[in-house]
Amino acid sequence: MSPLLHLYQERGVNMDPVKKEDRSQVFQKRGSKQKKQPKKPKKMMTKTFKEGFSGYLFMSPTIFTIGIFVVIPILYALYLSFNDVQLLGGIGYEFIGLDNYTRSFDDGRAMIALKNTAEYVLIVVPVQTCLALLLAAALNSNIRGKNAFRIIFFLPTVTSSAVLTIIFMWMYNPDGLINTFLAFLQLPTYNWLADPSIALKSIMIMNIWATAPFFMVIYLAAMQDISDSVYEAATIDGANWWQKFIYITIPILKPVTFFVVVMGVIGTFQLFDQSYIFSGGSGGPNNSTLTIVLLIYQYAFKSLDMGYASALAVILAIIIMVVTLIQKKFFGEEKLHD
Amino acid sequence: MGMKINKMLAAVGVSGMLLGTALVGCSSDSSGGGENEDGKTVVELAGWGSSPEEEKLLKETIASFEEKHPDIEVKHEVIADQYMDVTKTRLVGGEAADVFYLDALEAPSLIDTGVLEPLDEYVTEDFDVEDFEEPLLNAFKIDGTQYGFPKDFSTLSLFYNESAFEEAGLEGPPETWEELGEYAQKLTVDEDGDGQPERFGLGLSKELARQFYKFQPYGGQVVDDNGKAAFASEEAIASLKPVIEMYQEDQSAGLPSDVGTDWGGDMFGQGKAAMVIEGNWTIPFLEDNFSDLNFTTAELPTINGEKATAAFTVAYVMNKQSEVKEASWELISYLTGKEGMETWTSKGFALPTRKSVAEELGYDEDPLRQSFVEGASYAQPWQAGKNLPTIMTNFDNQFISALLGEQTLEEALQKAQETANKEIESSN
Repeated sequence: MSPLLHLYQERGVNMDPVKKEDRSQVFQKRGSKQKKQPKKPKKMMTKTFKEGFSGYLFMSPTIFTIGIFVVIPILYALYLSFNDVQLLGGIGYEFIGLDNYTRSFDDGRAMIALKNTAEYVLIVVPVQTCLALLLAAALNSNIRGKNAFRIIFFLPTVTSSAVLTIIFMWMYNPDGLINTFLAFLQLPTYNWLADPSIALKSIMIMNIWATAPFFMVIYLAAMQDISDSVYEAATIDGANWWQKFIYITIPILKPVTFFVVVMGVIGTFQLFDQSYIFSGGSGGPNNSTLTIVLLIYQYAFKSLDMGYASALAVILAIIIMVVTLIQKKFFGEEKLHD
Repeated sequence: MGMKINKMLAAVGVSGMLLGTALVGCSSDSSGGGENEDGKTVVELAGWGSSPEEEKLLKETIASFEEKHPDIEVKHEVIADQYMDVTKTRLVGGEAADVFYLDALEAPSLIDTGVLEPLDEYVTEDFDVEDFEEPLLNAFKIDGTQYGFPKDFSTLSLFYNESAFEEAGLEGPPETWEELGEYAQKLTVDEDGDGQPERFGLGLSKELARQFYKFQPYGGQVVDDNGKAAFASEEAIASLKPVIEMYQEDQSAGLPSDVGTDWGGDMFGQGKAAMVIEGNWTIPFLEDNFSDLNFTTAELPTINGEKATAAFTVAYVMNKQSEVKEASWELISYLTGKEGMETWTSKGFALPTRKSVAEELGYDEDPLRQSFVEGASYAQPWQAGKNLPTIMTNFDNQFISALLGEQTLEEALQKAQETANKEIESSN
């Protein structure tokens, strides 16, 4: 925590700690009330049971749908990942223990997919987070046409990613808009789609452009929550806009940044549609746009090797979980902004 | 207490309704063949999409079938994208069509899974199996059992721009692959001298499907007897060297993507390549979209002194789970029979697999299609065992990087072969 912020908190400018206390008191009160309840055990039991029952009854459609479409498939995928699955021409399962998992370590394409995905995450997440923060800061200041810019910036996010990809493929064409523009500026042109060393970067640029505005909106909402009095106090102390940004805005937004980075990492690890459309499902040129999810798709639906595909999916889930836990450690134990 | 009962009732009601909707949404109309309201037998036919002209032709063929079989209704469905993925998934779910297209390339692996109906016992004398071109028929025959009948085929020929040839002072098509290289250099035009030709001598297709036929004249092969990749041989390297040289050293050959086109036909039509090696599907495409183009076709130049080309063929096959097998066979036998095939191939989008139909339609004398028909006698079908899809992916991935000069051809083929064979081993 920055020294400046600390100072303001002492002055009682930051309201957060007080709020938290209030709330915990409320919880405690409720808790103590319940502790008294066992005095009339039988009646309370039936009451809580009835309440619980009707509660679950109301939730049952959701539990039913989530169970069938989320929970059971997840458990089933786990089960599949330990089996050799034969689908075409008679369905058959054969338990093979961890073979699917060990196979992935020996699979060159899985390693390439992992490397591509990691590269993608490492570049896209920091860039889109910084860009989102800067855009939000710009829109949070008192510039003219703020609302118009907000709408313009947000447009890519509400557009379907498949449509965006197809539009970008047009622009990335060797004779397309981007190369024509670069040539006009006397800059080098690239074969954005077909050059293996460029193709993944083309997708990165497109995705940063498309997702940064979404996180910008989240940042913007959080920024507008920051009390003006904090900035006023800083102004009185002689802080310039940069110091205010670095020592007030960014530290206060830390929980939001955590959220943005976690969502960004999960989203980028699951990159599929853009690289699928870019490469026509092959992950080419020369495996350069092959991502883990695309590889899972290929094994599951091209080779119908469900067991191995499930194992890869489980591995991806574990990777994302581990990365998220590391981030949590990195960002400390702070709670998310309310 | 009354209120509580009301609450409970509301909860039960709401969840019941939602549950009901969910279940209604799930209940499927059983797809596949069956009977419709008029008591007609419904046969489902699935294939990939093609040009509107071809679509129209297929509709005509189906309509004339339905006229002859008033008790059968054909439900034609086009699977727009990722045809094999969709088909395989539907086969697993028991939702696949009764009759569907199958590319020769995918045939060995799909037949191996046992989801296709053997067709031998349906064949009658009238169907005249001997009339089919044998190599094309064999593409759908495993261990002496016929699983599909080829509906049409195409070979590869050399398309060349006659105006460009005239400008460059060239006459007639190149006879050998060496000559093709020389021609390509003369035909390459780079007017602004930026090292990026406006027109390449030869438009290349980098896929294994367009390269494999070059192996045989040198004694190379795609797969060995065990169905494993075997293209990293000296022979195969020798056959592919000229392509790499043309692309890298002479810069007389280019990929469609180098000039912002999707495929060779488009590249050729737009005048960005003076020659391309393509199939006869390119003819109607060029005639429709580039009617001013002055072009003709010729048999492919000889490779290592031998004639070689590839043949691509597609068959109609029957789903083993079909409930209307008799009617399905009626449809297959009509579509691949003399009458149906004549209608289907009458416009020359694809060539007939029956010798009698080819003669009837006179394609062996058609100036544009002659070379394709000639090619059929020595063409190598695009098929190499059940692992070809895996082998193909790995070849395509590595060959492009050799073409771009990121690694040598030897390294690329070696790597592609190793990766493919490793994948084949671990998937078995």
